[in-house]
Amino acid sequence: MEALKLEKVVKQYGDKTAVNGINLKVEPGEIYGLLGANGAGKTTTMRMVLGLIYPDGGKILYNGKPYSNELQHLMGYLPEERGLYPKVKVSEQIIYLGKLRGMSSADADKSLRYWLDRFEVPEYYNKRIEELSKGNQQKMGFVAAVIHKPKFLILDEAFSGLDPVNVELLKDTVKELRDQGTSILFSTHRMEHVEELCRNITILHRSNTVVQGDLREIKKGYPREEVLLRTAGDVSGLGQIPGVRSVQRTERGYVLSIGELAAAQRILQHALGQSEVEHFEIKEPTLNQIFIRAVGESNE
Amino acid sequence: MNKLGTIIGFTFKNKARTKSFTVTTLIIVLLITIGMNIPYFIDKFNGEDKAAEAARIGVVADSGIPAAELLTAYTAPEGSDNKVTLESFPSAEDAALVKGLDEGDIEGYLTFGTAGGEGVPPVTYHSKDGELDQDVQMYLQTALQQVNTQLIAEGKLTPEEVTAMFAPVSIETRQLSGSATGADTAAQEEEDSPINFVIVYVLLMLFFLSIMLTGNMIAAEVTAEKSSRIMEILITSASPLTQMFGKVIGVFLVGLMQIGILVATIAANLLLPHNAGVLADFDLDLSQMNYGILVYGLILYILGFFLYALMYAAVGSIVSRTEELGQATMPVMMIGFVNYYIPTFSVAAPDTLLVKIASFVPFTSPLSMLLRIGIGEVEVWEIALSLVILVVTILFFAWLAAKIYRTGVLMYGKRPSIKEIRKAMKAYKF
Repeated sequence: MEALKLEKVVKQYGDKTAVNGINLKVEPGEIYGLLGANGAGKTTTMRMVLGLIYPDGGKILYNGKPYSNELQHLMGYLPEERGLYPKVKVSEQIIYLGKLRGMSSADADKSLRYWLDRFEVPEYYNKRIEELSKGNQQKMGFVAAVIHKPKFLILDEAFSGLDPVNVELLKDTVKELRDQGTSILFSTHRMEHVEELCRNITILHRSNTVVQGDLREIKKGYPREEVLLRTAGDVSGLGQIPGVRSVQRTERGYVLSIGELAAAQRILQHALGQSEVEHFEIKEPTLNQIFIRAVGESNE
Repeated sequence: MNKLGTIIGFTFKNKARTKSFTVTTLIIVLLITIGMNIPYFIDKFNGEDKAAEAARIGVVADSGIPAAELLTAYTAPEGSDNKVTLESFPSAEDAALVKGLDEGDIEGYLTFGTAGGEGVPPVTYHSKDGELDQDVQMYLQTALQQVNTQLIAEGKLTPEEVTAMFAPVSIETRQLSGSATGADTAAQEEEDSPINFVIVYVLLMLFFLSIMLTGNMIAAEVTAEKSSRIMEILITSASPLTQMFGKVIGVFLVGLMQIGILVATIAANLLLPHNAGVLADFDLDLSQMNYGILVYGLILYILGFFLYALMYAAVGSIVSRTEELGQATMPVMMIGFVNYYIPTFSVAAPDTLLVKIASFVPFTSPLSMLLRIGIGEVEVWEIALSLVILVVTILFFAWLAAKIYRTGVLMYGKRPSIKEIRKAMKAYKF
C-alpha cells in the first residue's frame, strides 16, 4: 500500500486555482520528485500534505487513512526558507521542536547529538542559529526536520544554497532515510538531484500536472534527438546527411540534432568514412530538457 | 496537554531571558527605588543644616520697646518645629552680635522702625546675603502677627481669650453614607484612606505597563515566528490553538513575574527603616489598606491581560514582517490607552457616569472597575456583571483570535485587508 496518496487534490485561493487535481503516490522508502517553475503549485501541494492547509477538493491519504493529529508526530518538514529561531541556541530549539513532535527531552537530546556528530559539527550544540552560516543553518533545519525519525519527510528546496560537499552529505543522508523506509516528497530546481534520487516525478506547470510517472519511462517517451560525435580528424558534410537538423562544432567534436533515430546510424557511417571515431553517443534527453520542453510547450 | 506545557515553558524561558525584558525590568526597579527614596533624601539633605541647629536671629532694640520684648518672649506652639531662636541685643554694633554674624553663628538681626500707631512698628531684617530663609520668614511672620495682636488687644482681652484666639481651628471630614451602619462607616473610612488612592494609582500604572509590554511581546513573537517561517514547522507540530494559548500563557507568566519583581521592590523599599517615617508623613497607613483591591486587582489583571494578549496575538499573526507590526498594533494600543486614561484621570472623581460605563465595557473594564472597587462606590452585583461580561468577551476573542491566527500565520506578502482575512477564514475549516 502507498504510504502517501493524493487523489484529485484541488486547492483554490479565491478565484485562483493553485493546484488543479493533482494525483500522486509515494511508496514507503521512496523519494518522490515534485518539479515545477516558481509558482507552479509545489509548495501549496506540500502544505496540503503537511496538513497546513486543507484541500478544497480531492483526498490525501496517509497509509490509507485521512489526515489526523497523530500524523504530526510522523511528519518532518524542511521549509524553503529555513524555519528556526535566530536568537535561540541550536540545542534548545531543536529539542523543543522534537518535544512538540512527541519526543521526550532525553530522546530528543540524544538524537540531536547523533545528528550533529553525523554532520561533524558537535560544537553547534551551544551556538545560536544567527551565529551560523546560511548553509549550516540549513543543515540545522534539516536536523530539526528529521530529529524524530519521521515516516513522511517533506523537503522543499532542501539543497539550495549548499556547497557541493554539503550537498553530497545531505544527499547521502536522504538516501539513507529512504532506505530506512521513509517516504520523502522532494522539490527542487536542480534536475541532476532529481535524476540521482527520484524514481517517480511530477512536473507541475501553472497548477496543472504536465508530466508524471517513472523517470526512466518518461525519458523513453521522449525522442532521443542528440548525437555526440568525437573523431580524430575533421569530418565535413555532416549537415548534408538526411535527418540531421543542425550541427554544432564544439572543442572536442560535434553535437548533432537529429529528426529521426535512423539518422544517427547514417552519421556514424559518414564519420567512419572520413576519420577515426573516438566517441559516438545517442544521448537520452536530460530531465532538464524534458522540463523545459514540458513547461515551455504548455506555455504556448 | 503535554505540548501546551512544552510551549509555555519554551516561551517563558526565552522571553524572560531576552535582553530587552531584563533591561526594562531593571530600569523600572531602579526608578521605583529612586522614586521611593527621594522623600527620604530630601529630608536628609534639608535636615543637615536646619534641624540640627536652629537659626539664631538677633533682635536689636532698646529696652522698652514692647514689641521686641514680646517677640523674644514668643514661643512656638507645641508640636511645631522650633527652627529659630531669638536673642536680643542692645544695638547693631554690639560686639557679641558682630562676632556672631562674622562667624556665621547668627544669621541676621531685626530692627524696628518708628511706630506709626498701634501694633508692631515696621521690621527690617538685616543679613549678610540679604536673603531670608522661607522657614525663618514663616516663623517670624507668625510670631510678629501674634505680637501684633497681643499689643492691640492688650488690656481689652484676658490672656485666656488671647490664647484661645490662636488655638488652631480644626476641620474634620466625614463621608455621607446611605446605610450608615457601624460596619459600613468603618469600611467607608477605611476606603477613604489615602493609602487606597496610592494603591489604585500604582496598580493602574503597573497593570497598564504590564499589559502593554507583554502584549507587544506576544505580537512581536508571533510575527517573528511567522517571518522566520518557523511557524510552518510549529503549525505542523501542534495545533494553532495550543500554540496561541501556550504563547499567551507563557508570556503571562513572564508578566506576572515582572509584576512580582516590581511589587517586591516596592515592598522592600517600604520596609526599609528610614522610609517608615516618610510613609507616616504622607499619612499612609498600611493597616488601613483595602485588601479587596489586591484580590480583585489580580483577577482583573489576569482577565485584562488575556483579552489584550489575544488581540495582540491575532494582530501579530496577520503581519508578515516585524517592521509593519507597530502600525498594525496601533488600534489595540489606542484601546489600551483609553483603558488606562479613563480611570487615571478619574481618580479624583471615581463615580462619574463615564467611569461607570467604562467599567462594564470589556476593553476598559479591567482598569475602570479596579478604580471603582478601590476608591469608588460599587455594588457587588456590578462587579460580578462586569466580570461576567469580561469573561464572555475573552471566550469570544479566544475563538476569534484562534481563527485569525490559524489563517493569518500562513498569509504572507502585504498586510491583508479585513475583507481578505474574512474570506481566507472561511476557506480554512476547523
